[in-house]
Amino acid sequence: MPDIFGTILWPIKWAVEAILVTFHTVLTTLGMDPDNGLTWVLSIVGLVLVVRAALIPIFVKQIKSQRRMMEVAPQIKKIQDRYKGKKDQFSREAMSRETMELYKRTGTNPLSSCLPLLIQMPIFFSLFSVLQNAQHELVGVGLLNKQLSTSFGESSLFGAPLKLAISTAEGNVLVIVIASVMVVLMTASQFITQKQIMSKNQSPEMKASPTYKQQQMLLYILPLVFAFSGFTFPLGVMFYWLTSNIWTMVQQFIVIRNMPTPGSEAALAREARLARRSQRKGISITEIDAAGEAVEEAKKTQRQQPVNKNRAKKQGGPKK
Amino acid sequence: MRRTLLFVLLLPRNVCVAILSAYRSVVSPLYGDVCRYYPSCSHFTLQAIQRFGVIRGVWMGSRRIARCHPWAEGGIDDVPSSLRQRYELTRFGFVVASGHGKG
Repeated sequence: MPDIFGTILWPIKWAVEAILVTFHTVLTTLGMDPDNGLTWVLSIVGLVLVVRAALIPIFVKQIKSQRRMMEVAPQIKKIQDRYKGKKDQFSREAMSRETMELYKRTGTNPLSSCLPLLIQMPIFFSLFSVLQNAQHELVGVGLLNKQLSTSFGESSLFGAPLKLAISTAEGNVLVIVIASVMVVLMTASQFITQKQIMSKNQSPEMKASPTYKQQQMLLYILPLVFAFSGFTFPLGVMFYWLTSNIWTMVQQFIVIRNMPTPGSEAALAREARLARRSQRKGISITEIDAAGEAVEEAKKTQRQQPVNKNRAKKQGGPKK
Repeated sequence: MRRTLLFVLLLPRNVCVAILSAYRSVVSPLYGDVCRYYPSCSHFTLQAIQRFGVIRGVWMGSRRIARCHPWAEGGIDDVPSSLRQRYELTRFGFVVASGHGKG
């Protein structure tokens, strides 16, 4: 079993080591101490940046289909209206089913798919095993040679070895303090991300559902999950996770601000913002809320003058 | 006797149901909705294991996860219903022998 895992993870481990070593070399060339924990931490941060940047095309695709989702907003609203006030599980499921069907029909699926998550899991575990290797001062599978592995394994940040977790700290107060601070930071960033999605980017119908309440309850179990990981995972792995969380938070903020779910609080805020901006410029454009409907009504506001038959002929008839 | 046998027979899939349910209630919410299908990949796998057992269920689930990439159209993708409805589901999703006994 471990062999199968090892074989699957081998290429990812190789890539993880290559990226780490590259950043480490660059930072050392810039004059940082090669054995300092900070250099290694920054290399891990670099690894996150590379991984998340590689996932940007997927993210951009998501944004694009979310923009196109604006076009089908009236249809989504229709579905939401049909299930308004129906809070039982059966109706909720029927509603998600219909929404998903609409996404497919119109090619506007705004969800990112399960792939980005699944790609990150082996990276995370590879980093974990690279650190584990380094801890026992074994040679890596690729560019992480004996010397670098030892340097990584022995490195410490403010005196707290990166390879240790709370469970292996054996009373090292610094490790416990740093790990705890990171658990708090991770909880905070995850909390903000979830809160943003849940309170701002969901329609009122969604907020009334039992699933939503369940999700909110889970928000308060999160600290426990992170506390557990702070207890088990070495500091180096925690740095990867923390940086990745912060990236997600910022990315989420940008998405919610610019491409909110139609009908949500964030969408209303965005419309208000756009209206204010156009007012400042001296133009009053009817907002695209409820897509199209308002615009059409606005066109008809000028009443058509009654004309007598002869004039109507002259006006409407084709010119000969 | 038959009940004991069925319990042992259904144990592997119930263990998987427990693991997946735990994942769906603790880990899934960390990331919000990502799946491009309905039901989501984890829900699909859960249902497949309930209906077809661990081996076929995991296989169907893996193939579904492979289908869930950013270039997929997404949409509705249900687990095929098994021809024979031999078992019943408890409220939590565990598979039990059908019948009206205590089970």
